[in-house]
Amino acid sequence: MEPISGVPAIVAMVAKVLGLFTILMLVVAYATLAERRISAWIQDRSGPNRVGPFGLLQPIADGIKNFLKEETLPATANRLFFVLAPMITITPALVVFAVIPVAAPLATPWGVVDMIVADVPIGILYVLALSSLGVYGLVLGGWASNNKYAFLGGLRASAQMVSYEVALGLSLIPVLMLVGNVTLTEMVWQQQQMGIWFALPLSLAFILFLISAFAESNRLPFDMPEAESELVTGYHTEYSSMKFSQYMIAEFGHMVTASALMATLFLGGWDLPGTWDNAFWHEGQLIRGFAEDGSVLMADAAWWKTLVTFGAFGVKTLFFLLVYIWVRWTLPRFRYDQVMALGWKVMLPTGLGYAMLMAVTILSLDTVGMTYGFTYGLVLTGVSGLATLAFLFFIDRGHTIAGAAALNRQRAHAARHARGDNPAGDGQVVLPSAVGD
Amino acid sequence: MAESNEITLTIDGHEVSVRKGTTLLQAAQEIGTSVPHYCYHPGMSSPAMCRLCLVEVEGAPKPMPSCVTQAQDGQVVHTESELALDMRRGVLEFYLVNHPLDCPICDQSGECKLQDYVHEEGREHGRSREPKRVFGRDDFGGDVLFYGDRCVMCTRCVRFMNEVEQDSRLTVVERGNRSIIDTFFEEGLEGTYWHGNIVDICPVGALVSKDFLHKARAWDLDHTDSVCPSCSQGCNVSLHTRDNLVQRIKPRENLAVNGWWMCDYGRMNYEWINAGHRLEAPLVRADGDTRAMGWKEALKALLERAPTAAAHGVKAVASPHASNEDLAAFQALVRDLGGEDVLYRLRVVENERPLKGFPNLARRRELAPNADGAELLGMTRVGDDDASGGLDEVADHDGLILVLGDDLDDQGEEFGRNAACYIHLGAHGGTAPANAHFLLPVTTFAEQEGTFTNRDGRVQRFWPSMETAGAARPPWFVLGVLLAERTGAPAARSAAESFAQLSSRVDAFAGLTYEGLGARGAVVNETVSLTGGG
Amino acid sequence: MAISVKVMERPEPEETSYLRAALSGMALTFKHLINPVKVTQQYPEEQTDLHPRWRGTHRMEVHADGRPKCVACGLCPTVCPANCIRLVGGEDDQGNRYPIVYEIDEFRCIFCGMCQEVCPVEAIHVGRHFENAEYTRDRFVYDLDRLMEQEHPTTLLWDPSDPRSE
Repeated sequence: MEPISGVPAIVAMVAKVLGLFTILMLVVAYATLAERRISAWIQDRSGPNRVGPFGLLQPIADGIKNFLKEETLPATANRLFFVLAPMITITPALVVFAVIPVAAPLATPWGVVDMIVADVPIGILYVLALSSLGVYGLVLGGWASNNKYAFLGGLRASAQMVSYEVALGLSLIPVLMLVGNVTLTEMVWQQQQMGIWFALPLSLAFILFLISAFAESNRLPFDMPEAESELVTGYHTEYSSMKFSQYMIAEFGHMVTASALMATLFLGGWDLPGTWDNAFWHEGQLIRGFAEDGSVLMADAAWWKTLVTFGAFGVKTLFFLLVYIWVRWTLPRFRYDQVMALGWKVMLPTGLGYAMLMAVTILSLDTVGMTYGFTYGLVLTGVSGLATLAFLFFIDRGHTIAGAAALNRQRAHAARHARGDNPAGDGQVVLPSAVGD
Repeated sequence: MAESNEITLTIDGHEVSVRKGTTLLQAAQEIGTSVPHYCYHPGMSSPAMCRLCLVEVEGAPKPMPSCVTQAQDGQVVHTESELALDMRRGVLEFYLVNHPLDCPICDQSGECKLQDYVHEEGREHGRSREPKRVFGRDDFGGDVLFYGDRCVMCTRCVRFMNEVEQDSRLTVVERGNRSIIDTFFEEGLEGTYWHGNIVDICPVGALVSKDFLHKARAWDLDHTDSVCPSCSQGCNVSLHTRDNLVQRIKPRENLAVNGWWMCDYGRMNYEWINAGHRLEAPLVRADGDTRAMGWKEALKALLERAPTAAAHGVKAVASPHASNEDLAAFQALVRDLGGEDVLYRLRVVENERPLKGFPNLARRRELAPNADGAELLGMTRVGDDDASGGLDEVADHDGLILVLGDDLDDQGEEFGRNAACYIHLGAHGGTAPANAHFLLPVTTFAEQEGTFTNRDGRVQRFWPSMETAGAARPPWFVLGVLLAERTGAPAARSAAESFAQLSSRVDAFAGLTYEGLGARGAVVNETVSLTGGG
Repeated sequence: MAISVKVMERPEPEETSYLRAALSGMALTFKHLINPVKVTQQYPEEQTDLHPRWRGTHRMEVHADGRPKCVACGLCPTVCPANCIRLVGGEDDQGNRYPIVYEIDEFRCIFCGMCQEVCPVEAIHVGRHFENAEYTRDRFVYDLDRLMEQEHPTTLLWDPSDPRSE
């Protein structure tokens, strides 16, 4: 089968952009409703159930409300940046979706259509570049509001996102090493080839990426920039009406994008178990895989396969969305020093160490001549599982997050130890603040 | 032989000395013990028929009705002993056998002796299971409504009509359980002039006032001692007010003036006190333009204008409804401005309405409370018996006209038109007052403190019972300030000070002070008789 | 009764794992997510069972012929601690004492129920009712007609002989 070209390709492109954008916005809108209803269920409440059946029209009501509300513009705000900031925030959250493959290629009478808006060769690099742009919107909005809470929120956002981008990047390195490419379609293909989704062979990378993704999208327990108990509502304190709404759309858009990314990187994207749905452009041919003798097995694109795989992709993405919401209504917010400690003192070294471990493992497997496949994946799963267990039972223990009381006890232990080291009793007073970390 | 008149007895462990002939009930009152009673009233005979004042007398075989038992030397009396209390409890239970217990709809509720005594001494629950006899209510004519079921048969009302008013209109008909107060056929109380008193003396809610019916609850009323402003008798009364409105007038005991009584005319003549449309701010007219001003501003303008106008002569009109202080302050200001005579007008009706059973008490012919005070101050009465006319000279006067209190209802639009300055102090406006250059709002007698001099020369105090309307001030205060501005002498700051100035200036009032007057009043040095034999 | 103190045994920091604690927390919330213990009442559809002694806005009982039971005795304005009752008594054409004006300012009212307790003819009652939204403040001054129109159940009085009764 031939890839689509010419005028039908342009039509297909426009249709994909419009369709994906519409679906994305719908998902964002209903994610707000889902968040409110799921939080309500978790807390044994009912949640919004008044507008429409089961409250299904609530997002529309919210949208109308936000359009009709008064636009506030603080007198001392910087007008240009104040208006610009929400747009800067919302754009990266939406455009990242362009490089994520959402389903198996679709066969049409005019040729096969890839179910991805832009299969750019730089793939994941594009994702990293754009998602790090989102922080400018927050900092700019916080600064332009000319409000101390908003400003503090913006500052926190920048520091936090810079910190966790490091961990995010490090957790991606094992994936890139395994795939040997940076395009997302290739990543889905490699997971199809291995037969095991990367969540298992690269389990620790998956955990690190998950945590970093939470921090990157400013969701609890990492919502320091808008910690309402400390900063009113942080960077968007002064925003109202649709400008506020844009920030909310950006946050939820970021969630959806990050969920889709996790689904693609670690849960096989649109892949379903088995090889029947596999499809990849190999030297101009849409193939399903390779036979024992190295010859290609041709893929058979069909509209129902596209539909089913798109459903699979949707389910995986929604699962991560559910996790986002579920975590938010379970875990309390970190203290700011805990966020920083976790980012720099746990995630960074763990990510580095794991990248090295994976590099050694992959190199060793290649050296002993094991072919890329299911067994290869099982070995990696074993190694990664050991690393994950070590992370859970040794690195996480007492280091990741410790409450204030526990830290005080640690300091007291240290102080006692310090006195023991000074048996002479030369009158030196060890203040609690002088010991500990 | 004063010694033989004194006897000593012991009541509830207290020794008390009284005159011979005193009843046990009165003797008990000497030591501050009030024995419950219904039929006994100090102003009438005692039939000893309510049986509530039973007390235990040592040596006596049975409890004695204290209202008719005369005190004996050496007697030992117990008013609170077990026997006395038991007797009274039994009597009260009998009263309640047929009482409808309709306190919620009874006007007497709250000032009812049956309520009080049952609450203090009665049983907690009735034991009677028999149906109650029902009389319903009866219109006695006049202002009186009779609720037969509530009656306790003390016959105070019957005795009042027989002994005090001496016009037997009421009697007890039937006997025993069915006895009831009634009028003679359809005659009723119509045509008697003191029957309002039977409502006052009725200890329960059997006799109620039609005028006061359902108007207010007794406990809501504020009581203020006052003097009846309706005639020159000067009966001592109490104004009962609620929500800044007089609801009724009740007599106040003063044996030197009215005893316990007051006439129906004075009792009903209170609506004018509550009348609205009062002047509430000084109105100053200049160049055909009238505008409201503050007191200071208005009085300053007045002091500038009045002396020049006074050069053309001063004419002054006062009212016998004003207090002594007001009249004296008015007179002092008039004299200071160069005037001499102060005129007043007085309404005199044809008939006097005497109360036969009480000496020197009548609804007098002169229907003003302080005509005697005006006379003592040397003011001149003009006009006819309807309090109109007699002001022709004043109306056309081209100098200074001063009016205090007289509303000039009989005067036309031309009154004071030619005056260089016309000053009117009044509570209400009107046709003639509208011409005033200075229309100053003053208080009524119910809103200020002061004194009236009655026809016997008795100066009696009254107290403020209502809030003043708007910026109205007592006349003595306004006039005192004006005089003080002109003479430099200090102005009176209270009614008492104003009265002290009066008594130091006018010989007739010499030696009287507010403290000396008290609540009962005092008679001035010389008595002046009005208009011959009244 | 002595106060007992429960001593919480907290693990040493070295023994705690944030991730494991977080996962057990998430297990708990997931249990509630899929099997919520619903306590929310769907209010307008589901009506609350008000306590029998709930004291809400007033109502005036009426006779069979439509007259108010009130005899304007004046006890409720007297006993009212918030001074929210205005009463002017009068006489109707059958010679009965009745309230010409009877107004209760429900905004001033503190719903103590003493008016009901003091009423000798069981006319004024506080009601088992709480839905009092209005568009203007003056609608909260209930006049006699309004009080007579109310149809909500009335409050049971507290019985001193059975102090724990409901």
